[in-house]
Amino acid sequence: MRNKYPIIYTSIFVLGFILSGCATAPKVVTKGEAYPKMYDERPRSLLILPPMNESTDAEAKDYYMTTVEMPFSLMGYYTFPAEMVSEIMKQEGVYDTELLYNLPMSKFADYFGADAVLLTRIKKWDVSYMVVASTLTVSITAKIVSTKTSEVLWAHAGTVKVDLSGGNSGGGLGGLIASTIATAINTAAVDYVDYAHKANARLVYTLPVGPYSELYMQDQSVPVYTVRGK
Amino acid sequence: MKIKKIVELGLLAIAIFLISGCSSGPKPLYNYGKYSESYYGVKKDATTESALQYQKALEYCIEEVGDSRSGRVPPGMYANLGYLYLKAGQNAKAKENFIKEKTIYPEAIHFMDRMIQKIDALEGDDEK
Repeated sequence: MRNKYPIIYTSIFVLGFILSGCATAPKVVTKGEAYPKMYDERPRSLLILPPMNESTDAEAKDYYMTTVEMPFSLMGYYTFPAEMVSEIMKQEGVYDTELLYNLPMSKFADYFGADAVLLTRIKKWDVSYMVVASTLTVSITAKIVSTKTSEVLWAHAGTVKVDLSGGNSGGGLGGLIASTIATAINTAAVDYVDYAHKANARLVYTLPVGPYSELYMQDQSVPVYTVRGK
Repeated sequence: MKIKKIVELGLLAIAIFLISGCSSGPKPLYNYGKYSESYYGVKKDATTESALQYQKALEYCIEEVGDSRSGRVPPGMYANLGYLYLKAGQNAKAKENFIKEKTIYPEAIHFMDRMIQKIDALEGDDEK
């Protein structure tokens, strides 16, 4: 096993270190390896459906929805106007998000002409107060599903947390966020939406860039996460 | 060959920073202004004031495209504005904005044409 391009591998490892925020990064998984279907199918447009709210906060759904378009469009995708789409679906008689998420994906191609649908779930949106520390959690999972094949093209694997005490609560990307913004949270009033924006920015990081990005179809080798060696 | 690959990787790393939306640095792909904040404002407290701020934010996104790498109005902004006009009964203005949306973004043609057809159908009814 001799490396043909040792410097290149070193560079990838260094990038891996930066991205993961971990001390050990034995195996780097790239966008191309993690999400090959994105590169095969190459969706240009994303229809953002209202989030599925599994948190204890009833308002989380409306609030989180205001943060979703920007990060995905800035990654180079055409994002359908989320509010307009949501209102139109209500006019069409679909009020229930659960129902919406169970519709055949082809419906969204027929009605909106969307290449893919972005489904988000709010897992947690709360602050838990404890004796010595409190934890603010905005935990989101997101996936992109093809309207042609109904296959999942991209999914964010983890959740994102902030430990207000400044500790590192999650591995990988979650941990990175925790350490970068915990200070800000400590000094400012807890603002979920502001936090959701930051969480989204990290969430879309793993997404292959879209057709309006300068790097379209050139980011297959970008590392997205690392796997610990066994 | 080697050097080329290293340079490629370096450029990639720089590009990641651009995409990730760091606060300081080059211009973003689009200038969203206060779109998200004003959208949140409408959701938090639906008043005439918050609705006005939302519309102003959309208009800002449309006017201030110079402050972006793409020089384009962000996706969905013309559609959003058109939809406001549609709800206000200003069909001609609505149509105008829907046409602008699909002209910039061909991905929106299907959806915008559907909206325009709806407007035309409504106006057809009115004339009867």
